[in-house]
Amino acid sequence: MKLPTDFYKIYAFAYRSWLLNMRNVFAVFEMLFWPGVAIFSVGLLTRFLQLDPETVSFILIGAVTMNTVQITQLDISYSLLYDVWSKSLKHPFIAPVHMSHLLLGASAVGFIRGLLIFAVMGFLSMWLFGMDLSRPGLLGLVFFMAGLFFNAVIIGMLVLTLVLRFGHRAEVAAWAFSYLILLLCGMYYPVSILPPGARQAAQLIPLTYFLDHFRHFYGFPLLSPHPLMYGFSQCAVYLVASYALLNRTLKGALKRGALLKLSE
Amino acid sequence: MPAAIEAQGLCKSFRTGFFKPGKTVLHDVDLEVPGGAVFGVLGPNGAGKTTLLSILTTLLLPDGGNASVLGLDVVNDAHRIRERINLAASSAHFLWYLSVEECLRFYGRLYGLGGRDLEARISELMETFDILPYRKEKFENLSTGLKQRLALAKTLINDPELLFLDEPTTGLDPVMAQHIREEVARLNRETGLTILITTHNLREAEMLCSEVSFLKEGRLLAHGRITDLQARFGLGDHVSLVFKDSPAALDYGRLPGVLNHRVEDSRVHLVVDRAEVRLAGIMAALSQSPQEVREVKLKEVDLEELYREITH
Repeated sequence: MKLPTDFYKIYAFAYRSWLLNMRNVFAVFEMLFWPGVAIFSVGLLTRFLQLDPETVSFILIGAVTMNTVQITQLDISYSLLYDVWSKSLKHPFIAPVHMSHLLLGASAVGFIRGLLIFAVMGFLSMWLFGMDLSRPGLLGLVFFMAGLFFNAVIIGMLVLTLVLRFGHRAEVAAWAFSYLILLLCGMYYPVSILPPGARQAAQLIPLTYFLDHFRHFYGFPLLSPHPLMYGFSQCAVYLVASYALLNRTLKGALKRGALLKLSE
Repeated sequence: MPAAIEAQGLCKSFRTGFFKPGKTVLHDVDLEVPGGAVFGVLGPNGAGKTTLLSILTTLLLPDGGNASVLGLDVVNDAHRIRERINLAASSAHFLWYLSVEECLRFYGRLYGLGGRDLEARISELMETFDILPYRKEKFENLSTGLKQRLALAKTLINDPELLFLDEPTTGLDPVMAQHIREEVARLNRETGLTILITTHNLREAEMLCSEVSFLKEGRLLAHGRITDLQARFGLGDHVSLVFKDSPAALDYGRLPGVLNHRVEDSRVHLVVDRAEVRLAGIMAALSQSPQEVREVKLKEVDLEELYREITH
């Protein structure tokens, strides 16, 4: 990519996304209210069940993961959904931009928001429910965060693909898709308890391996021998595949006139 | 000047359902738009104007035929075309939470602009389109006229060589519509910018366009300079001569420039190719006759007449 023109294009999407988050009361709600509700409800449930500290950490990690991935991927999904809702979808595409500009810009803001959620929920988990976030060490945290971020980008790209393919009908995917993924990869439970078909499906989701790796610092056995290698390898494959799929879907949208229909 | 747009045999159809046949929106359309012109694509609603414009602006892929914009292929060189063109749609829609200047800044950055150059461009455009006082106003709070002015300002943010305007005055009050037309004419006059405008407003086309194409049901029915099309379809200015008694005994059809004539009591209706050129000769011929002309009425041919002739 040639700088600085590419930089300005990425910055355009990032700054727009940032303004949206600053001005939209629901975006603020997403960042504070739901993560707060999640930590309190799950944390209090673990207290009521009188679980041991390791199991409490296991469950709280699931809650932190769910909200971090969801918030990060929403920023990517919103990068097109807001254009659809404002009927301005064709304008970004009449400019000389690639999907990569949009994704990088939106992901940058998604990453910041995800990091913030992770920090807030991590702090609440430590402060209120005694979870020890220092156990995985800095490197463990960095790998886990990177894993969450890559998973969110993949989910975001799949949501964008659905929006370009099915338009308004796919809006619900922005919220539902990540929950489905998290359900499979062992949000509040080990994947070993999943029914056989779902267990195999979980092995195809990189988040399963990042959760496996992170929870292992809290005394839970590794379910796969090299979780980080599996996780990052799968992420690399899925990132390339979902980007290719997104571009292919955009081409299909240009053929079907979907950009025009979604701008009406 | 070389052609800014060339299209041959453009076809487009859309699927209407899984088991239903596609609906053909464009049939074999050829088009040539000279550089520096204001070119009008005219037609009723559903004629295929927006589809044609969408293909030329790379927002829609054609099913068949080929088209080049500024010498670049609309399918294979779409990215390079986008750097050099811009579009204002019939109704201005932008993100509601962005202010006027944020909106222009966002689109400017999408063209790789930034820093002081972009800020200067934004200020200049806001001044040109008289939206500077509303720079901090959110898009959702703007009136329709202001939204359309912002849309036009946005189209010039990248200093395009070719501008596409899709029914730019739809929904505007007459004063604002006239202001926008004057702005479009000024842009073309002062910068030589090529402009392709789609409209079903014939007055607008008449005022702005040097050449027009007529589309109906996806087919190009006629294409050329308005005056050439008038001549081709035998349409011209109307000259009505009202005599005091009976009309002068002349062979009106043989008078120079007369395309058609009709005698009705004491009146003679002439259709001439160009009234301002022919009227002196007609009056000179009448002066040889003893019959006194009481009144001469002139009505210039309008595009509506041409439109009716072509599309019906």
